Amino acid sequence: MEPEIEMLLRVARTLTGSWPDAEDLVQDTLVRAYRGIGGFDGAHPRAWLLTILRNTNANSRRRRRPDLLDGDGELDRRRPAFGAAVAPSPERIVTDRVLGQELQRAVDALDDRFRVVLLLIDVDDLTYREVAEVLGIPVGTVLSRLSRARERIRLQLRTHPQSGRSS
Amino acid sequence: MMVNPSTMWTCHWARRHVHRYLDADPSLPLTTREIRRLQAHLATCARCATTAEDFRRLREALADWSQRRAPDPALVQRMHATVRDLVADDAR
Repeated sequence: MEPEIEMLLRVARTLTGSWPDAEDLVQDTLVRAYRGIGGFDGAHPRAWLLTILRNTNANSRRRRRPDLLDGDGELDRRRPAFGAAVAPSPERIVTDRVLGQELQRAVDALDDRFRVVLLLIDVDDLTYREVAEVLGIPVGTVLSRLSRARERIRLQLRTHPQSGRSS
Repeated sequence: MMVNPSTMWTCHWARRHVHRYLDADPSLPLTTREIRRLQAHLATCARCATTAEDFRRLREALADWSQRRAPDPALVQRMHATVRDLVADDAR
């Protein structure tokens, strides 16, 4: 279970919309997984844990608001949890900041169903099948929602000449 | 200007497959033949090539969010402690 803890936290953050809720969700997931480990066949531990996470989340969802992203600007204010990479150039900082703000707005404007799939794949780095597992939907639906999410963002960014083409 | 219907159909097909091409997702890979067909289309269709480039940039930009959305190391440690506690409780 332990190698997958960070992945579980990321996914839980996307599903719940906050780190405190993500912590509660992953803690409950780990307890359930540990109690159920006798029935686990040892194959595909990520998929097994994601299924438990989904079921645990479904049981507690009524207590939470399904907000799925940080509010405007929160991402910009936060510092990386781990060491930052090589310092970018001043031009890159400006470009990234403009693009980041436009992108944040475009992602925020998405319907929850599309936003969650987009974040789970492009930010949390899950596979299509893992997203299908954690959301309890067919892989084809995952792909369809991903396609629509990216297309909507692409079109929105294209209406802002500064953001999409300058890097 | 007349648009070749077969070209339109290929553009439609390319739009449907471009995400699987860019993601190279192991759970839903394109066949070698599909990859070659898509690459051949992108090499000759500027509109689809531009769209694919937009999607590639978008994927890169969102991947950059991953680091900023990483969980706090202290939170990760608390989860590891949860597992250790479960194991310890079980051993008693």
